[in-house]
Amino acid sequence: MTALTIDRINKRYGNLHILKDISVSIAQGEFVSLLGPSGCGKTTTLRCIAGFERPDSGRILFGERDVTRALPEHRDIGMVFQSYALFPHMTVAENLSFGLEVRKVVPAERKRRITEVLSMVRLQGYEARFPRELSGGQQQRVALARALVIEPSVLLLDEPLANLDATLRDEMRFFIRDLQQRVGITSIYVTHDQSEAIVMSDKIVVMNSGVISQFGTPRDIYERPASQTVAGFIGRSNTIVGKVSEALGPDSYKIETLCGTIGTHGPGGLVNGTDVRVMIRPENIRTRRHGEAANTSTSDENVLGGSVVSATYQGNGTQLKVRLASGDEMVVDVSGRNPMAVGEEVALRFAPRDAWLLAS
Amino acid sequence: MSATEAAPRIETPTIGIGKVGPVWMVLPALVLLIGFFALPYLTIITMSLREASTRAVYGEGFTLAHYTTALGDFYIWGILGRTLLMGAIVTIVTLLLGYPVAYHLANSRSRWTSLLYIFVLSPLLVGLVVRTFAWMIILSNNGVANKALMALGLINFPLQLMNNPVGVTIALTHVFLPFVILPLLGNLQAISPDLAMASRSLGASRMRTFLKVTLPLSLPGIQAGTILVFVLSISAYVTPAMLGGTGGRTMSVLVVQYLVDNFRWPAGAALAIIMAAVAVIFVGLYLKLTARAMRRLP
Amino acid sequence: MRDATGVEKTIWDRLFAVLVAAIYIFLMFPIVLVVLLSFNSGEFLAFPLEGFSLRWFAALFSNTRFLEATSYSFRIATISMIVNGVIGTMAAIYVARHAGSNRDRIRLIMTSPLLVPEILTAIALLFYFYEIGIGTDYSIGIQIGHIVVTFPYVFLNVSSALFNFDRSQEEAARSLGAGAWMRFRRVTLPAIKPGIITGCLFAFVISFDIFNISLLLKSLGSNTLPLELFDYLRFNFDPTAAAIASLSIFLTFAAILIIDRTVGLRSLRF
Repeated sequence: MTALTIDRINKRYGNLHILKDISVSIAQGEFVSLLGPSGCGKTTTLRCIAGFERPDSGRILFGERDVTRALPEHRDIGMVFQSYALFPHMTVAENLSFGLEVRKVVPAERKRRITEVLSMVRLQGYEARFPRELSGGQQQRVALARALVIEPSVLLLDEPLANLDATLRDEMRFFIRDLQQRVGITSIYVTHDQSEAIVMSDKIVVMNSGVISQFGTPRDIYERPASQTVAGFIGRSNTIVGKVSEALGPDSYKIETLCGTIGTHGPGGLVNGTDVRVMIRPENIRTRRHGEAANTSTSDENVLGGSVVSATYQGNGTQLKVRLASGDEMVVDVSGRNPMAVGEEVALRFAPRDAWLLAS
Repeated sequence: MSATEAAPRIETPTIGIGKVGPVWMVLPALVLLIGFFALPYLTIITMSLREASTRAVYGEGFTLAHYTTALGDFYIWGILGRTLLMGAIVTIVTLLLGYPVAYHLANSRSRWTSLLYIFVLSPLLVGLVVRTFAWMIILSNNGVANKALMALGLINFPLQLMNNPVGVTIALTHVFLPFVILPLLGNLQAISPDLAMASRSLGASRMRTFLKVTLPLSLPGIQAGTILVFVLSISAYVTPAMLGGTGGRTMSVLVVQYLVDNFRWPAGAALAIIMAAVAVIFVGLYLKLTARAMRRLP
Repeated sequence: MRDATGVEKTIWDRLFAVLVAAIYIFLMFPIVLVVLLSFNSGEFLAFPLEGFSLRWFAALFSNTRFLEATSYSFRIATISMIVNGVIGTMAAIYVARHAGSNRDRIRLIMTSPLLVPEILTAIALLFYFYEIGIGTDYSIGIQIGHIVVTFPYVFLNVSSALFNFDRSQEEAARSLGAGAWMRFRRVTLPAIKPGIITGCLFAFVISFDIFNISLLLKSLGSNTLPLELFDYLRFNFDPTAAAIASLSIFLTFAAILIIDRTVGLRSLRF
């Protein structure tokens, strides 16, 4: 069942076209991240959903209900702000009670729900505290509780972890995700942190310059990015330019490059001669010293020769930069204690299913 | 959650999407300030151009005579000159006294800071008449200052400290000192302490750090404070009227005398405009002069 | 500050401390002096002090002119405070929220009475009230003058409270379903209340103290307290004047204390 539909919304500020025909539909109970660099329109999209901005055109539906022109206070949303926006002159309990009072919930029921939600965010006993008496992480959980206690139809989170330190941020990722799954609430989460989006989300909307670059599961986006931009924004990647020389199946191809022919997979329907880029993630490349036996090699594995340009020790492994015959530089992660030395000849190996085609 | 069932209402949004807000909110204030502030200022100009009259406040026609008379009168030039000189002295002295206080307050972490802040603020909030009265007690012929000086054996006869420009200048310095401290304090507090630490880490002495880092960065505060004090002291009325006598008479005193005692409104208006024009010219020159020193500042 | 860091003090630090202490004394001395002399039993406004006495306050309270002037000043200051509390707060909210590209222009208009000498404003209003026929026969002229001059204090203090107020609190209230009135009453107003209180107290104290406006715009027979003191000092120079001055100083310090307790003095804007 569709909980939220964004239908071709546009938003301009003067000459700036902030949102260009954004369309997304989100199923009941899904956790969807809006991911992109600052200025990509993700926050504007969230504010359109919340009603703090009104799109110039297009529609926003909560279930079947068209809320495009509804005021924020009539939308039945729960929102967590980057600054938390806790009311400083109210205690934790009063902050939580605020939305319930608006909804004319009777006092006894208010008390029950506040207690319940505080135990959900593990803040029992903090009712009488003021926000300034809480740590950043606790304030964050109060903000979450305040948004959830009204049992909204959608939960909106605007970079809620941005103001926390790194350790706490990691902890809160799992906390929020876990809570969201227990409550089963449809959630939209704005972030510029790709690892946050990948860990937490059911689906990710990658945005760039006001358009959606890709909408899919974290796995789709990481392994089968739709464009060079998406591939570059999520994780690290190596690319080699080439041309489609043969289609081996619906999604596998042979690509002619300056380093020889490479077997890859990619989106269907590419015709011979199409300019493409082959993308390989550093962690999917294995290395072999020049002259070492190729005992584990399978018949369709790609092998590229090159020489090590730099080796950077990273604690859990070593990052190599390898220059190929074509002049392209590849980044490769090597684990183990016996890394290659600079200048050493090396063979890079990767399976066709780990090479993905991007339109050039 | 019954609100969600209601049909979405459309109204002028007050957040984010606003076009023209609720003008009624600012209307009373605008009426007040245009009707009883901006328009009255225009009437000073028209009043200064009216002909004098003995039977009414002003006569029928218009004339420039009040300006030509005033500008041809050495007595008025003298008073204008004295007013400006006193204003300049007060400005310089308040800056010299105010800077150390502002610097001290800005760097003070002691628990007495807020008491010291009250010391700076309270003269500002105690009425001018009261403060000037205090200075009358101090400066009169058998006042506190003369008694103390004679007790110390420094003088044998009381010094004439009142009813002359000296007394007015001393009292004005006290009266307007907070006005130079507060802008400076705001400015000094906005300067990151890291900058001074950086300077010290690079080997600069405290004095050098002050002269090369803190002082240049506080120029905007100095500028704001000095302009404020200059304008306030050349237009001050209460203090010169109470302490100045005839020897310490200033432009404001003269203007009020024209208006209240002599009932010469048009001539008084012309004097007020001359005073304002001179103030504007001096502030303009000062801004031009200080602009060069401040052009490197962010 | 250096005491806390443990860095050794130099001779210059000590000289600087003495200089600064001397200036603080210069700032406070006249005020303390007036208060001391108002409680002095001697006949003259001079040292040495002869003993503690409330006789000059007794003299003050038996002087109907001073009592009338005090109540007149109180009335004018209270009306100025209330009127500006309402219109100044509304204007500050409008400028902070809705003024858009006109913001700086409107802000300049709102603060302009502070940017010109009070004596000029007094002169302008004197002429203007004469020209439009209000004249100085009634209290309305002096009252309007006081409102105009004290307006910026409320406007500036409320504006600065609004500036420091995190707008997302209002959005949070909105996301929780609160309508416009509830948002204002439960979220915005409590947040800016300190600014309103400060601005109002400030407007009251300034209105109680200002002289030039009152001098030129007063209606016949009704003097404000500073005017009455000014007139009194023309012909008398005795400790009764110090008692009046003390009274006005106490009032000011009461306001300062309230501001310090509620919002802290450093949030003052003027």
